[in-house]
Amino acid sequence: MADVLSVGVNLEAFAQAISAIQALRSSVSRVFDCLKDGMRNKETLEGREKAFIAHFQDNLHSVTRDLNELERLSNLVGKPSENHPLHNSGLLSLDPVQDKTPLYSQLLQAYKWSNKLQYHAGLASGLLNQQSLKRSANQMGVSAKRRPKAQPTTLVLPPQYVDDVISRIDRMFPEMSIHLSRPNGTSAMLLVTLGKVLRVIVVMRSLFIDRTIVKGYNENVYTEDGKLRKMPATLACLACLAVDSQQSSDEARELISGQGTGCERGDSSASQSQLDIWSKSNYQVFQKVTDHATTALLHYQLPQMPDVVVRSFMTWLRSYIKLFQAPCQRCGKFLQDGLPPTWRDFRTLEAFHDTCRQ
Amino acid sequence: MPVAEGKSVQQTVELLTRKLETLGAEKQGTFCVDCETYHTAASTLGSQGQAGKLMYVMHNSEYPLSCFALFENGPCLIADTNFDVLMVKLKGFFQSAKASKIETRGTRYQYCDFLVKVGTVTMGPSARGISVEVEYGPCVVASDCWNLLLEFLQSFLGSHTPGAPAVFGNRHDAVYGPADTMVQYMELFNKIRKQQQVPVAGIR
Repeated sequence: MADVLSVGVNLEAFAQAISAIQALRSSVSRVFDCLKDGMRNKETLEGREKAFIAHFQDNLHSVTRDLNELERLSNLVGKPSENHPLHNSGLLSLDPVQDKTPLYSQLLQAYKWSNKLQYHAGLASGLLNQQSLKRSANQMGVSAKRRPKAQPTTLVLPPQYVDDVISRIDRMFPEMSIHLSRPNGTSAMLLVTLGKVLRVIVVMRSLFIDRTIVKGYNENVYTEDGKLRKMPATLACLACLAVDSQQSSDEARELISGQGTGCERGDSSASQSQLDIWSKSNYQVFQKVTDHATTALLHYQLPQMPDVVVRSFMTWLRSYIKLFQAPCQRCGKFLQDGLPPTWRDFRTLEAFHDTCRQ
Repeated sequence: MPVAEGKSVQQTVELLTRKLETLGAEKQGTFCVDCETYHTAASTLGSQGQAGKLMYVMHNSEYPLSCFALFENGPCLIADTNFDVLMVKLKGFFQSAKASKIETRGTRYQYCDFLVKVGTVTMGPSARGISVEVEYGPCVVASDCWNLLLEFLQSFLGSHTPGAPAVFGNRHDAVYGPADTMVQYMELFNKIRKQQQVPVAGIR
């Protein structure tokens, strides 16, 4: 601790000042000793008084001298430096009980951590700002006064326009069917059925794709409202003895449990329940494909022409019709860690395993 | 949900399960599939004119609340468990062939999206064979993912990988269902029953 305080302190003068204090103490005690001893035994009273007074004066002079010396030295010693690096928190380090209240060491660690965090955050923001991730045509940096006037036109589109775009895309691809609904206000929710492979729920914000969830063809995409069954394998409750052909058993099964499996046959029958946009798929394959779809919707960006974006996203999605049939273009195998090639290249639409993609 | 079944050498269930576990599959419990045979009675009337038609009533622990009734090369009915009680009432039309109950029991493993069931086929007190069922959940069209399944089978069955089941050839684009699983099991059980005719030395 002396090292911390020694900036500007003259150690030499410090030591001298300490010895000067000791000298002062001893001369003061001599004064009081003299007073305590009283007058010495001499022949005459005057002689005794004179001797006493002379002795007393000597002692007082030595006291004065020592005090002056001390004052001189104290001016040389100087103050401890004001620009203490830790200010008041450095005084915490003087607390001797380290194991019970390790305040100082914890304080130092917290400080170092927050410094590192600030540094890393600065690096990250620099890296992230290199790629602009804004998908809408809003301009940041426009002053608050002007922003209400410069409304981005692509965010406020009439729903009819959105419907038109979606229906046009629906007709584009024969094996992909898109059903649009607006259960929660103006944002559209699409249920895209791709062949018999998968179903995708796409939540949109005007014509921008917000998020997607990919589920299997046989998984339930509607929320349960107490009437729907969850398991895809349907159970017919009546035993028909007159079943002769596969066809009629299918129909019978459908009649009996028609309201239970609306999600398999069509989506118009389950009008009471809503699209479940939050629950994940039960299969790892489709969870992976959901992640890829989220990557895709961030990749296809064109703030001025959102319908082109939606079209290219649907084209990319359509390449998943051969999810289980196409081998990976890189390693030639079908399975990697139990997963088929789930990644589709954004430009060439070739199938790769997630670990095989470039 | 496509399924493949095969039969491999008896008493190698241990070997198979160990291979599965090194692959990374998790044990998830047990399963049981059983089958009872019924003959159409001689005094039957109606469209079931030919004598001796066999009907199989099967249960699968994967679908615990249902009962499957199959005719060979014929339709498959999926009913609930009260069907068994109904069969008792239909004694006049269908008579059960005694000592024909065949079942397979074993453990169930899950690897990624694959469900693998390895079981021992028993008829009465004796073990007759091994059944291996592999189910790939995400795909519903049978013919699509046969190659995928084949690759998975090769990884742990090695040289015993079977060929494509006949079920796949029939309907290419139809959605796979539990009835198809039961048809495959029925064929497997029949095969094992026929193998019964071979002298004991031939059975390994």
